[in-house]
Amino acid sequence: MAETHRPMQDSQVVLEQGLMITEAEKKEVLNARAKALAREPDTQEKPQDFLKIVEFTLANEIYGIESPYVREVYLMKELTPLPCTPPFVLGITNVRGKIISVIDIKKFFDLPETGLGDRDRIIIVEAGEIELGILADALHGVRHIPVEDIQPSLPTLTGIREEYLRCVTNDRRVILDMNKLLTDTRIVVHEEVF
Amino acid sequence: MVKNDNDFFKKLLATFKIEAHEHINAMSSGLIELEKYPAFDRQAQITETIFREAHSLKGAARSVSITEIEAICQSLESVFSALKSQELPVSVGLLDILHQAVDNLKTLLPSIERERTADEKSRVAATTKALQAILTGTTGDQGPVASGQGPDAREPTTDHRPLTSDYRPLPTDTVRISTSRLESLLLQTEELLSVKQATTHLVTELRGFNASLTEWEKEWNKFPPHVRMVRQSLEGKNCHDQDKTNSHLARLLEFLDWNESHFKSLESRFTALTKTAVQDSHVLGGVVNNLLQDMRKASILPLSSLLEIFPKFVRDLSRDQGKDAEMVIQGQEIEIDRRILEEMKVPLMHLVRNCIDHGIEKPEERKRREKSHRGTVTVAISQTKSSSIDISICDDGAGVDVAKVREVALRRGIISQEEAERLDKQASLALLYQSGISTSPIITDISGRGLGLAIVQEKAERLGGTVSVETEHGVGTTFRLSLPLTLATFRGIVVRAGESLFVLPTANVERVLSVNKEEIKTVENRETIQLDGQVLSLVRLTEVLDLSLQYPAADTTDTLPVVVLASTDKRLAFLVDEVVDEQEVLVKSLGKQLSRVRNIVGASVLATGKVVPVLNVSDLMKSAVKVSAAPVRITVAKKAAVELKSILVVEDSITARSLLKNILEATGYNVKTAVDGIDAFTALKTERFDLVVSDVDMPRMNGFDLTAKIRADRKLAELPVVLVTALDSREHRERGVEVGANAYIVKSSFNQSNLLEVIRRLI
Repeated sequence: MAETHRPMQDSQVVLEQGLMITEAEKKEVLNARAKALAREPDTQEKPQDFLKIVEFTLANEIYGIESPYVREVYLMKELTPLPCTPPFVLGITNVRGKIISVIDIKKFFDLPETGLGDRDRIIIVEAGEIELGILADALHGVRHIPVEDIQPSLPTLTGIREEYLRCVTNDRRVILDMNKLLTDTRIVVHEEVF
Repeated sequence: MVKNDNDFFKKLLATFKIEAHEHINAMSSGLIELEKYPAFDRQAQITETIFREAHSLKGAARSVSITEIEAICQSLESVFSALKSQELPVSVGLLDILHQAVDNLKTLLPSIERERTADEKSRVAATTKALQAILTGTTGDQGPVASGQGPDAREPTTDHRPLTSDYRPLPTDTVRISTSRLESLLLQTEELLSVKQATTHLVTELRGFNASLTEWEKEWNKFPPHVRMVRQSLEGKNCHDQDKTNSHLARLLEFLDWNESHFKSLESRFTALTKTAVQDSHVLGGVVNNLLQDMRKASILPLSSLLEIFPKFVRDLSRDQGKDAEMVIQGQEIEIDRRILEEMKVPLMHLVRNCIDHGIEKPEERKRREKSHRGTVTVAISQTKSSSIDISICDDGAGVDVAKVREVALRRGIISQEEAERLDKQASLALLYQSGISTSPIITDISGRGLGLAIVQEKAERLGGTVSVETEHGVGTTFRLSLPLTLATFRGIVVRAGESLFVLPTANVERVLSVNKEEIKTVENRETIQLDGQVLSLVRLTEVLDLSLQYPAADTTDTLPVVVLASTDKRLAFLVDEVVDEQEVLVKSLGKQLSRVRNIVGASVLATGKVVPVLNVSDLMKSAVKVSAAPVRITVAKKAAVELKSILVVEDSITARSLLKNILEATGYNVKTAVDGIDAFTALKTERFDLVVSDVDMPRMNGFDLTAKIRADRKLAELPVVLVTALDSREHRERGVEVGANAYIVKSSFNQSNLLEVIRRLI
């Protein structure tokens, strides 16, 4: 705290002096800044002890996805609903010339709906040949969760079927098993007309 | 750093895999050609080629230290060296061993990232041993060559230098680029197409604006006389009593003057702007078209890249079936869009497989028919038009038994007895494309499931191509595929159904017309219209697409827009809410997750940037028949409610089946029975049931699978399913819940009242 206060006091002085600054003072300030920037960030633990998780909310529920499965977060300009598809398929959208299907994982998990707003954010995930967009309300960015803070899933906590749960964190955040989800045949729509 | 090295090695292995595939395929092709006993010169040439391929692969394998591949290549090299110097004659037995060796190389490839298993190692050892045995067996004086250190002993004789100097042309004018990178470039270029269309759209808007400006000018030009009059009368008068009004008028005139000059300058600026926009749009259009064309050329490959694997495929498949067939390929140098090539790989494989499985006869049969011992499958490619190619897959086998096709179709209930008698040869052959038609008496793992040709047709049509078949009993069959060279844009008609837009391929649209409400007549509960003296069924697009919920009563106009669609020999009129536009569209795939969606082939990006589904016309036709067959009228539905509820009982044991049937019928249900899951599912497809009672353990398809299948089917998803079983295990109960059964009754606790109560609760 003291460190952050000091530059403020310095600038206070400068202001009082009517923004008069000598070359020497300037140099000193710059030096101080350079030193501050050059300092290595605090690392308490080794990175391999962490699980890198992208967190998002959907209908008041927070979910996590392991970051290797996340290709990008995309702001949809438009979502085209697709008839003749199961309810969990919300529609399709254009991502730089490629058509990406958008799904509602809550519907896929058969969880009750809690009202759909005008959501336009999707997380594009990929595993194997399947690539799709998962609808999200908001993104909480990337979090590093220490491996020891993770425990096997407790399906009763969330209602999500156990098979799609990767694990649960100490603060009861659910991490989805993307590999299971994306390789599940039930997520693929393949229907002929006879 | 360790991580980086690891990454690097991974990349290296990936590159090695690609390279190894090339070498292995080249070796396979060479071996196939050797089997045809070519002229001496050619034989020497091929031997030389394979020898070099083996040598190159050996070197590559050594650099990534995959000793097993290296060892096999080493032995192969030795054998080919012997073949080269004619110390060894070419024989069938020899070629078989060589084929096996090359196959073995191939099987090693997928797992090169990990340690080889003991099994793999022993197979490698067996292969090298067999190869070395060839050398010892034929040339006794070369004993030491084959005894363990043999290959190494030969090493000095294979000179390295000429291999690198004359074998591969220096790759100066070619670069390797990963397909994913190329794909992304292509997609982005295609995206420019919608920019181009958007610009055209903008220009049209600007032009319209210009026109209304001109209109303003015309009106304005009528005004000066009036203004002049006002001005004159104002100057002529000198009365002071009207001073106030006059000064106001003067100011108004002043404003009018300013207004005119300002508006005129706006107009000229706007005209100039429009002109620039028009020019820019032209330039952009030209550039985008050229770029797209060049980009598409960049992703063009010769068909040989796909067909390379076929000769071996044919050889192995015919051997397995005790048949003898060879493959002849013509025109494989013709180039085609890589994406089309990839899409057509499976269909082509299927057609070739068909030739061997159904076409080519066994050697003894061929002999009886006085045909040459060895059957031939010919794949001939020719470029018929500038934008399309023809691929014909032809065999000199037994041909299709048209009568048998009709018989199967009749048995499956696809056609009626009268229809069967009426069908001519071509129409009967068209039945081959229907799912479930196969003339094969048994289902093998190769074919006989009767799904293949339906898939071939669908793929071809999705790519904008066609497929046709010609056959002569006893002489052979030819399948002809006509495909576009590039994934081209086509014309599409944009229609609105409910609140959504859809694209219909113009090629399938026979007519767009507006129909007077009085012209719609109901015949046998189906709406129809008359067109050119022909009665056409009329269906609502919203209903066919299951959009009926949001269909509002838009009964304000007297005429309704109708699109007449045609596919193969069927015509059907579709009622839409609006025909919006016709434009150039490019069909894009919906991705692997939406592998196949009913009634929809893909999506297209319109000029406005809007993503719009492109409809599958042949699906629409089939769906439409279902919609109009279903009791859509509310009155009918009400009547059905009074009728008895019907239950399908699925049980393989005849005792249990009749018991259940009796109990349920006594309670007042309409009961039908099925002997297993497959039988049941077929029944569900043809008839409506209110509930299914099914056993778990059954042949062909068990109760779990049946339930899962019902849940996966959109039409049946809501159908209640009661599983009845002797298995009282927790796993089974959970499995039952997992697949979506509504109830799970264990036979031990199974008494009448329990079952009946469950059923009453469900329906």
